[in-house]
Amino acid sequence: MKSLSSRLLISVSVLLLFFFGATIAVLDRAFTEAGEQARQDILDGHLVGLLAAAEPDDTGQLVMPARLREPRLERIGSGLYAELRDFDGGVLWRSRSALGLEVPVGIVPELGNHLFGREELDDGTPLLTLSLAVDWELDNGDSQLYVFKVAESLDGFNAQVSGFRRQLFGWFAAVAFTMVLAFSMLLRGLLKPLRQIETEITEIEEGDRVSLSGRFPTELTGVARNMNLLIDSERARSDRYRYTLDNLAHSLKTPLAAMRALLNDRQEESFGDRFNEQIDRMDEIVRYQLRKPAASVADNLVLAPVHVEKEVARLVDGLRKVYHDKHPEFDVRVEKGLQFRGDTGDFLELAGNLLDNACKWCERKVRISIVPSVGARAIASGMVLTVSDDGPGIPSDAADALLQRGMRLDESTPGHGIGLAVVKDIAHSYGGRLSIQTSDLGGAEFMVSIPPVSTAKAD
Amino acid sequence: MRLLVIEDDSTLRESLVRKLTEGGFAVEQAADGKEGLYFASEYPIDLAIIDLGLPELSGLEIIKQVRADGHTYPILILTARDRWEDKVDGLSAGADDYVVKPFHFEEVGARVNALLRRSGGWASSVLHAGPVTLDMSRQEVLVNKAVIDLTSFEYKIMEYLMVRAGQVISKTELTDRLYDQDFERDSNVIEVFIGRLRKKLDPENSIKPIETLRGRGYRFALERNQVD
Repeated sequence: MKSLSSRLLISVSVLLLFFFGATIAVLDRAFTEAGEQARQDILDGHLVGLLAAAEPDDTGQLVMPARLREPRLERIGSGLYAELRDFDGGVLWRSRSALGLEVPVGIVPELGNHLFGREELDDGTPLLTLSLAVDWELDNGDSQLYVFKVAESLDGFNAQVSGFRRQLFGWFAAVAFTMVLAFSMLLRGLLKPLRQIETEITEIEEGDRVSLSGRFPTELTGVARNMNLLIDSERARSDRYRYTLDNLAHSLKTPLAAMRALLNDRQEESFGDRFNEQIDRMDEIVRYQLRKPAASVADNLVLAPVHVEKEVARLVDGLRKVYHDKHPEFDVRVEKGLQFRGDTGDFLELAGNLLDNACKWCERKVRISIVPSVGARAIASGMVLTVSDDGPGIPSDAADALLQRGMRLDESTPGHGIGLAVVKDIAHSYGGRLSIQTSDLGGAEFMVSIPPVSTAKAD
Repeated sequence: MRLLVIEDDSTLRESLVRKLTEGGFAVEQAADGKEGLYFASEYPIDLAIIDLGLPELSGLEIIKQVRADGHTYPILILTARDRWEDKVDGLSAGADDYVVKPFHFEEVGARVNALLRRSGGWASSVLHAGPVTLDMSRQEVLVNKAVIDLTSFEYKIMEYLMVRAGQVISKTELTDRLYDQDFERDSNVIEVFIGRLRKKLDPENSIKPIETLRGRGYRFALERNQVD
């Protein structure tokens, strides 16, 4: 029951079965009833004929003519029988057709009444009977009670009914089969784009295809587009990881080589310091490479939005603990409900590093402000994140140098080390940039601006 | 002071424990999360150093559990992960500070001292109360600017009492927190040490830095100086 088409087919079959079943029942009933009514009318006609044919004889008794006008009553075993009885059940006359048969007496109707009934011959042939009790007025003024009875075998009628039923079932079965067949073909046609997506994804997995073709019905273009975005970002991510690992492995080899060389002259006095220096270098390399951006512009629409206010509050609470002794005053100005389209870790890296720097360098005051930046045709807003402090600040030529510097760190400024390089990398990977000014608080002001994502990019 | 170190790497753990013990702390150690949580919940501890990536039970879980149980002692996390996401997770769970691996031991020592002092309500590592000054980084006690010559155990008692200035500390607590477990536990020893401390700090019996509260314990009685 997992496939959509089998579910649909089963529901449709059940529905058809129910619908056709009801139709067949109604038609059958209507047909039988109409047929029976017609039989009864015919019997009534025969009865009237009998009454008309009956004549009193000389003794005043009713007798039937030797030959009747209805030929079926004259032909033996024709299926139409008639008889005349007295009120006690004694047979006064019986049609030739009933020769050798014993038509049962049945129920005698009340005087003047027609009574239809269903009876059976000895051999089991079903009969439809009509009896009429009459009070025959004799010439002498007396009256005598008679019972006229006509009966017709239902064999023919029943055969007709079952023939009708056979036809009915046959036709309906044919119609139902055709409908289910047509429906399943329709379904195949409808589900074809889904199968195509499946095939194309398999092809992507096997490397025969780069992205989904995009030739899908309107209802599926959204799915296909998001799927392509996902595939792109996944591919970009794995490229990035491969690149990072590659870089990491290669850059670690230099300090490793240096350490091996150092081991040869471990008698030297400064051995410990120089060895430690290489370890620190390796540590920095690993830290920097592992803190590189996790996401990029391509991922913006795939990732769940980051609730900026909440994350900043978490950061500030954490930093209050870490800088407990210094006790900086935080001034948090985050636009309410602001969301950042990107990786949570990346956002925390941006805000965390800048806030940590500010806490390190400030005299007392640290301010963080985050406002959305909105552009025309933007489907996800960007943001401008500003962190300022009242510390010594950074002269503009030093600021330029700081921004230029990648991994080559100046050990004399431990505060603006890897953290800033990481912030710069993340800002770039989201299509934004990092700038350094002087804050109105008197110290440094770091500003990261991430541009909004426009629709052109998404398509 | 009794510290707890939960770290699964044996080289790192043993080196940390050795250096902390040299620094005058009584140190418990655990190599995995479950054992660590047991120590952290059941032992009298003044500070815990917890690695975030532990087998059996993560450091984050231990911190959450310890805080949920109402323990308030400071927690220092060691993390190999340098991303802010991990640091913030640890701090939000209830840790007080972090050190990123690989670290220099001096950094851990400094953070531990700062956290202990902070938990006692002192803002600097040099504690001033009346004429008495205790310098945690140099492990020195001065009275009227003169250095008092104390044995390491006397210093430990002095530091424990002075960091918690104003609080009543029972003899049991002192033996629990200051001795390593294999040390002979005899509360008379504490009385002897307190007596010697008093003599060394206050030979004239004029400033009375340490009070005895009969049946309850001891208290560092001098007012903290607000200049800190």
